[in-house]
Amino acid sequence: MGTLYEDMVACGGEIFGDEHIETLRECVQCGKCTASCPSGRNTALRTRKLFQMALTDMREEIFNSPELWFCSTCYTCYERCPKGVKTTDLIRTMRNLAAKEGHMSVPHRMIGVYVMKTGHAVPLGPAQKELRKAVGLDEMAPTAQKYKDQLEQVQTIFRTTGYDAMIDFDWDTMNLKGMDKGGKK
Amino acid sequence: MGDLEEEYDYTKIPPTGSVEGIAAGAPEDSPRIGVYVCHCGINIKMVVDVGDVTRYAASLPNVVVARHYIFMCSDPGQDLIRKDLAEGRVNRVIVASCSPRMHEPTFRKTCSDSGLNPFYYEMANIREHCSWPHGDFHKEATEKAKELVRSAVARSALLEPLEEKLVDVKPEVLVIGGGVTGMYAALDIANGGYKVHLVEKKPSIGGHVAQLSRTFPTLERAASLLTPRMIEVGAHPNIDLMTYSEVEEIGGYIGNFDVKVKRKPRYIDTEKCKDCEKCVAACPVTDVPDEFNEGLSTRSAIYIPFPFAVPPVYTVDAEHCLLLKEGKCGDATLDGVKEGKEAPPCLEACPGAIDFGQKEEIEELTVGTVIVATGYDIVEPTVSAEYKYGVYPNVITALEFERLTSPSGPTGGKIVVNGKEPKDVVFISCVGSRNKQVGNEYCSRVCCMYIAKQAHQVKEQLPDANVIVTFQDVRAFGKGFEEFYGDVKKEGVFYMRGLPGEIYKKPGRDRVVVRGENTLLGEPYEQEADLVVLGVGLAPNKGVESIISMLKLSTSVDGFLMEAHPKLRPVDTATDGIFIAGCCASPKDITDSIAQGKATASGSLLYLVQGRAVIEPAISQINEEICIGCARCVDVCPYGALELDEVRHVMTVNEAVCKGCGGCNSVCPSGAATMKHYRDRQVYAQIEALTEITDVGMLAELESAAAAVAAEASAGATDTGSETGEGEGTETEAVPSAG
Repeated sequence: MGTLYEDMVACGGEIFGDEHIETLRECVQCGKCTASCPSGRNTALRTRKLFQMALTDMREEIFNSPELWFCSTCYTCYERCPKGVKTTDLIRTMRNLAAKEGHMSVPHRMIGVYVMKTGHAVPLGPAQKELRKAVGLDEMAPTAQKYKDQLEQVQTIFRTTGYDAMIDFDWDTMNLKGMDKGGKK
Repeated sequence: MGDLEEEYDYTKIPPTGSVEGIAAGAPEDSPRIGVYVCHCGINIKMVVDVGDVTRYAASLPNVVVARHYIFMCSDPGQDLIRKDLAEGRVNRVIVASCSPRMHEPTFRKTCSDSGLNPFYYEMANIREHCSWPHGDFHKEATEKAKELVRSAVARSALLEPLEEKLVDVKPEVLVIGGGVTGMYAALDIANGGYKVHLVEKKPSIGGHVAQLSRTFPTLERAASLLTPRMIEVGAHPNIDLMTYSEVEEIGGYIGNFDVKVKRKPRYIDTEKCKDCEKCVAACPVTDVPDEFNEGLSTRSAIYIPFPFAVPPVYTVDAEHCLLLKEGKCGDATLDGVKEGKEAPPCLEACPGAIDFGQKEEIEELTVGTVIVATGYDIVEPTVSAEYKYGVYPNVITALEFERLTSPSGPTGGKIVVNGKEPKDVVFISCVGSRNKQVGNEYCSRVCCMYIAKQAHQVKEQLPDANVIVTFQDVRAFGKGFEEFYGDVKKEGVFYMRGLPGEIYKKPGRDRVVVRGENTLLGEPYEQEADLVVLGVGLAPNKGVESIISMLKLSTSVDGFLMEAHPKLRPVDTATDGIFIAGCCASPKDITDSIAQGKATASGSLLYLVQGRAVIEPAISQINEEICIGCARCVDVCPYGALELDEVRHVMTVNEAVCKGCGGCNSVCPSGAATMKHYRDRQVYAQIEALTEITDVGMLAELESAAAAVAAEASAGATDTGSETGEGEGTETEAVPSAG
């Protein structure tokens, strides 16, 4: 384990290329990211602050802060950053590192549960099913949510890659460990 | 390399030393080379073993003495050379030191002062080409320094004396651009007693400064600073003012630039125009956006750009004049007007100054030097679309604000938005500057201070207004700037750190909302505002590409014109006699622009006062005995220096135009075109000396390194090969099984 910056370059560099992640050092804290952030308007997410914390190697503080998970990855700040800092991708890289080290927000893990159970991060709910019926469609779309064999393939991928362990998934309850079926502790 | 580094201890090398060369007893008329190795303080010495290089130099052919010294460019350093020359000990000089760009002129002068032809001087660059890039490799760097010296020695023995030639300098100057920079350049030259042709594209001189209301940090009225100078330019007997004109063609060389200037027709007899304004009232066109007011007001098709314009005459805007554009205005037709039978309203109102018969004219000039002062354009504010310029009338540029607060502006100097006085005013810094996304990485230098000044102007006129300046950094670096910034804050202007993210409008509201984060509090905010002023940056003037290409000027990555050296030659260009000044070179304020304008005047006057200029003698030479007149060299010459002599059927070189680039030399099929000071035999001797490897140990090392690289490359090739092999293998297996 190196500094957080080094680890980000190593981890994010594999996905985006090293230069992409190295833009972190070009941040001038002008605040245009936070000023443009639709999530930060309602939450404590301060994108530029996360970058300042990353550059001062405040690894544990970032990984333990719920704000890391408040970014909706809308890429508005990414488009507006005057210095071309690859903002959203830096946040995604920090999340990857946090997840590998056992920090992952419960809502994000719950999304994993949805995928595990239905093959979709946003599965069809009762309202959508009603709507489909109303316009004369099959209640279920022809996807993994409908076909069991396809869903099993998704589950196999998760088992093989160890994603189930990463989010602490319980195959017996089909939920996160220590949670009831409603997702409550 | 660790053990080698320990072996080399530069602190043990004394500040100077000398070794007698092997050619010490050579006859006086043979090449007798002196090699002087410079330590450059520790810049060279801490990497290169200068003592070793000196001993090596002494062992080379034709070298009579080799010396090393701590600073060869210092007076005592040059004295070593002067003494050897005075004693008749050497007749060729080599200094092994820095780049020729740095000190070749210095040492050439040392030689010529002591009576040696300066072209018997040769330089070995063991700093930029050796000690600086190879800092961690003492042994290798020392070997390389020896090779560079050996190469210089080989060339030195073959050098020929050259005479510097002089050309006469026409005692006139062309200044392109009539903004504050060009005006000051023109005034200094004109007051120095020389003729200036000042060419300005627009109908009046004054440039952007004429548009400004006040200047920072002294708050003086820009018009009151500028008007007297404009009048002086307009009335100066030595200034040939050519407004509403453009440089059409420019060629030639230092001392003799041939220029063609296009004088656009104003359709006004400037002698007869009395600035009476009667034509304006008569003109039926009233909706032309007034460019001087940044489009905040309109003007007619016949107009004077602003009240204190110089020259104080009207201009017919051919793009909008109905008669010129559509051939008909009122009952009058263009043909009828030209025949004198009909008259449009302006002509009827005018007491005899309007002349629709005027035509474009081309004026030809010859000038000694050229000053380029073409200025800037503001960055298009729409590059940051999130600030909604052009969408909401509440969002304006800083230049529009200047017009809004100027007594000659559309509101007579009153700050009003949508007809009302603003209560909340937000300034946004760095719009289109310091921004990679819009392609302008540079800081525009003036915005921080004009914003401070404009914020002060709001507070002065509307003391109860809430004025917020949003910023990422405040750069108040000039004389009196920081103090001014402090004063503006004391007046109650609130500086809020953080660049806003976007501007939007709530339905049914006049006011806009600026959305941002106060980064020092870490709190997002939404600030309602009646007026948002965008602190737009400065970009190179868009309309001057043809001038750049005609003068063969270079631009830097940001698009601004490039100076000969960013520190040491800020107003010179790569071409002698062509200067750049003001915002065409980089964004700068009025003070710096004037300073540069005056600097170019000084540079020009150097040539004008002497009446002649030195021409680089290291240029092309045609051997007429061999030249077959094929003119292939004409195609490659970027300067147009070569011409075919039709009678003798050989090429001739215009010595004043040739820059010695060597293009003709390389394409000449007969070998007739050669370069003085870079003769083939001189260059080949240099290359041969460089490629001759004397250190057997190092040769072995080099060979094994090359072998290792080759082995790696072939291993890589095998890897790829085996992959392909596998694929093929599968296929060949498949064939028999299918069969």
